[in-house]
Amino acid sequence: MLDAHSPLGMTEMFSSHDTMLSEAPGFTLTQVAGDEKALKKAVGKLPKEVGKVLEHDGQTLFRTGPKQIWVLGEKVNADAGVYATPLSSGRTRLLLQGRRSREVLLACAAIDFHQSQFKSGQFVMTGIHHTPVLIHCVGPESFHIYALRSFALNVWQWLADVMEGLADD
Amino acid sequence: MAGFRRLDEGGRIDRTKTLSFTYNGKPRSGFSGDTIASALLASDDLIIGRSFKYHRPRGFMSAGLEEPNGLFTLGEGARTTPNIIGTTTLLEAGMAVRSQNAWPSPKFDVMAVNGLLAPLFSAGFYYKTFMGPFKKSWMLYEPIIRRAAGLGAATVDHGQARYDTRNSFCDVLVIGAGPSGLAAAITAAGSGARVTLVELEGSVGGSLLSSRHEVLEAWRKAQADTAAKFNNLRLLLNATVQGIYDGNQAVVSVGANRLEIIRSQTIIYATGAFERPLVFSNNDRPGVMLAGALRSYLNRYGIAPKRRAVIVTNNDSAYAAAFELAEADVAVTIAEHRVVPPGDLLAMAAQLGIAIFPESGIADVLGGQQLQAVKLAGRHAVTIECDALGMSGGWNPSVHLTSHGGIKPRYENSIASFVPGGFAPSHFGCGAVMGTFGLTACVRDGVAAGLGALIYIGSKVAKSTIEPPKIRDETVFGIAPVWQAAAGKSKAFVDFQNDVTLKDLQQAHQEGYTSVEHLKRYTTLGMGTDQGKTSNINAIGIMAALRGVDMAQAGTTTFRPPFAPLTIGAIAGRSVGKHFRPTRRSPLHNWHEKNGGVFIEAGLWQRAWYYGWAGQSAEIAYIKEMEVVRRGVGIADVSTLGKIDVQGPDAAEFLNRVYVNGFAKLPIGKSRYGVMLNDDGIVLDDGTTSRISETQYYMTTTTAQAGEVMSWLEYLLQRHWTELDVHVTSLTDEWGGMAVSGPQSRNALQLAFPDLDVSNEALPYMGVKDVAYGGTVVRLMRLSFSGELAYEVHCPANFAQSLWEHIIHAAAPLDIKPYGLEALASLRIEKGHVAGLELDHRNTLDDLGLGKMASKDKPFVGRELRLRENHTAPERWSLVGLELLEPDKKLRGGAILFAADDEIKGHGRGYITSVTWSTELNTFIALGLYNGGLKHEGKEIIAAFPLKNEQTRLKIVSPHFVDKQGVRLHA
Repeated sequence: MLDAHSPLGMTEMFSSHDTMLSEAPGFTLTQVAGDEKALKKAVGKLPKEVGKVLEHDGQTLFRTGPKQIWVLGEKVNADAGVYATPLSSGRTRLLLQGRRSREVLLACAAIDFHQSQFKSGQFVMTGIHHTPVLIHCVGPESFHIYALRSFALNVWQWLADVMEGLADD
Repeated sequence: MAGFRRLDEGGRIDRTKTLSFTYNGKPRSGFSGDTIASALLASDDLIIGRSFKYHRPRGFMSAGLEEPNGLFTLGEGARTTPNIIGTTTLLEAGMAVRSQNAWPSPKFDVMAVNGLLAPLFSAGFYYKTFMGPFKKSWMLYEPIIRRAAGLGAATVDHGQARYDTRNSFCDVLVIGAGPSGLAAAITAAGSGARVTLVELEGSVGGSLLSSRHEVLEAWRKAQADTAAKFNNLRLLLNATVQGIYDGNQAVVSVGANRLEIIRSQTIIYATGAFERPLVFSNNDRPGVMLAGALRSYLNRYGIAPKRRAVIVTNNDSAYAAAFELAEADVAVTIAEHRVVPPGDLLAMAAQLGIAIFPESGIADVLGGQQLQAVKLAGRHAVTIECDALGMSGGWNPSVHLTSHGGIKPRYENSIASFVPGGFAPSHFGCGAVMGTFGLTACVRDGVAAGLGALIYIGSKVAKSTIEPPKIRDETVFGIAPVWQAAAGKSKAFVDFQNDVTLKDLQQAHQEGYTSVEHLKRYTTLGMGTDQGKTSNINAIGIMAALRGVDMAQAGTTTFRPPFAPLTIGAIAGRSVGKHFRPTRRSPLHNWHEKNGGVFIEAGLWQRAWYYGWAGQSAEIAYIKEMEVVRRGVGIADVSTLGKIDVQGPDAAEFLNRVYVNGFAKLPIGKSRYGVMLNDDGIVLDDGTTSRISETQYYMTTTTAQAGEVMSWLEYLLQRHWTELDVHVTSLTDEWGGMAVSGPQSRNALQLAFPDLDVSNEALPYMGVKDVAYGGTVVRLMRLSFSGELAYEVHCPANFAQSLWEHIIHAAAPLDIKPYGLEALASLRIEKGHVAGLELDHRNTLDDLGLGKMASKDKPFVGRELRLRENHTAPERWSLVGLELLEPDKKLRGGAILFAADDEIKGHGRGYITSVTWSTELNTFIALGLYNGGLKHEGKEIIAAFPLKNEQTRLKIVSPHFVDKQGVRLHA
């Protein structure tokens, strides 16, 4: 068997100003494309809107574009007339958590990350340091950041730098 | 002689905390709460710099952001920051403050000799005085003039300070925390809106901070307390809104080291007003200040003129300064331009023993280096010795930010100045910026603006609880505009920072520069770090009078960001050093790093350039690495290639339209080399595409064009070919790739995959095979960039490193070695494959020798335009191979190509695109683009490299230097 190497190969958490950053590997991510009917057949149920995930049948579904969803999980029915493209190797998943994590995100992207506007279950597709990312709010102070594998270290370093630069309370 | 003293009490300073600092290397001290300006005034440092052109001695003119004179350089070495405004920068212990534009000191400045040369520096002097006597004389003068006339100098050392950038969002952004801004913010926050209140000072209150009225101070504190209780009201102090942009974006510098971009549903401008000076002879002498500044220094910092002050005014507001100075035991005299000031002011002045000279202005300021006395103009031409002269020509609403969206201000007669000319629907204004100068009116105005913003955003509206302070209400603001005083003997300054005088404006007018925009550029009025905050309106008034038009007709110049000086560092934020731009790493990066790989930037990618096993420099290593590929087997990381998943029932048709050659009939399990054009007929990119199944293809692109090709495919599908059922997805990051190349490459793969048949029959040239191996899918493609028997092995990136290690381990008996980008690129030159240096978005298929690939039987993107006249001209620069005829010389990329009998001059007939040492031919070879291309095959030409003054003889040959018949590929 070939060993799998996560994009960062990080086992240690970076911590600064009550905020923690770590790599969260070990996920299965598939992009599924097709018409609405086929998509529904492939995953069972579809998120109604962009920006809110649907938790269904143990999977997390993100509507990422017209006729296109991301499926976090392993139960895609590829025979449903859809076009499935595995993306598990092409993304790193970072976990940003802590009291000031929203402040960190505000230094990275022009998105309103206020707790009244960006709640658990919501996600945005935006950019951090010129690279595309998907940010998923998984808790009041916890976020998964999906970044392209080749930019993984770059995004990690950018986030860590922002965390270090947070002004003391 | 002008002079100031620190009073024993009063001000907003903390006298228990003494702060030591240096000024031009000499020790000074001030108190916590002092600005640099107040600390220097208290130290009796009145002359703090020299003026821009004439090097006249200058002192502080204001106590705020509008200051034109009091600019300093802070810090040393890498921490140097020039052009710091002394009137707004709080004093810190240990500060090293240096004056600017004066040598050896502000009091004795060698360049003051410029004053004698003043006639040379009149309006537009750049375009007149320094144009002769030679054609390019200006080039000689310019550096000297720039050195002599200047603001502070930025450091060239690598900056040490950290600058950060933040985004924030709110419902209501209130700019300015004076009485009206506070009222607006509290009103909006009281109804639950998310409010951000931005204030450039370190405390809220605006003009109230310069007041000594107890009721007003109590009101200010109460509002500050109220604001602090709202969780939904964010107060940003020491923050300056630098610009307002589309989408209600406000760019704000917070302190010296942070830039915040605030996006708000609504914006309320409560930006206040700047007092404007009066224009009279020698009005720039140190000791001459704005009247409001005298009041601020008195009430905020406990600093007063030593004995006597003269106030000259044309409006009511300066009386507050006069009265409060008198209460601080300063003898005050008022020169009043108006015939009769309001009666209550007269009564109060009489009560405080203040003499008022009506219908009087200033004829001249006496004193060599600084103010000693003033000579009044008008009915009472007396001379009064004094320590300070406070001037007030009225108030200019701070309309700058309200104009950034393109709405010009309008002239308002009642205040003799400009107010906002209108607002976007989501913008509101209140207080002094609207020309509302009474305190009660300002508070009411703020409440109204806050309510307006709430209604605009559709918020619930609760009753505002904020009430104006309970004081005797002000009378209506009275002013009689005065744009210039009676002619004096000396210079009367309009723009203090740029040394623009009344005479300059008159001269510009005489020379025809009568438009306000022309006037600005001809005289430099309104430029510089203060952007004319104190000068513009006076200049417009003077210009309007000269033209005989009213102020509204004269109009204003265009206000542009930034509103106040900010550092370049704040704009750059964290995008410096290693964060200057993002970098990309291949899934094999760690292996390269641990195994002697030396990296080179290729676009954003960090690529393995060469490996230590082959040598300690690229020049040596790449040749050894090439030899390994030509004679044995090498392995290279090609993960950076663009990779695109193309899926759908119409995928074949889609590819057939995108590529110039046919793809409709590509069998499953086969790859094909393809070239695609832009719709202008120019080559966009090349690469291979493999058919994986009936409906799935795997496209590779060049590393450089991966993003562009992906965007192009998406564009075509979404805009032009919506009828095609095709989905494209970038796999560049999802899949890693490695090229296994060389005569031994098949044997290497056989060792790595012993159960797999990789024979020529099972995996022929351009064959593709997906195999399951080690728990993942491995895609074997028999492709060659080097011209040797070669394979590309791709797999999901998570497994790329393990697969790479496995192949190297398995093929160790064949002495497989990694080879880097330099060798990869050199091998392809030998083979005559074009790459990024030739695919430079200027060349056609025929230019690159690929014209025969274009199908005649099907439409494809760019088919029509590739045949237009210019694209088919016989003398176009097209691809050639180049062989060196002088072995002792070197070929260089970018060298210009000339025919043998050409004069070596100009752009030549082409240029060298790519150069390498050929291990096959033992000489330097090159690819190039040459006028007429291979029509000249066999001819001798010249390569000129002017940078090194080199000329080399070459021969035009076929670009295919090795294995022209492709025997090795098909082995």
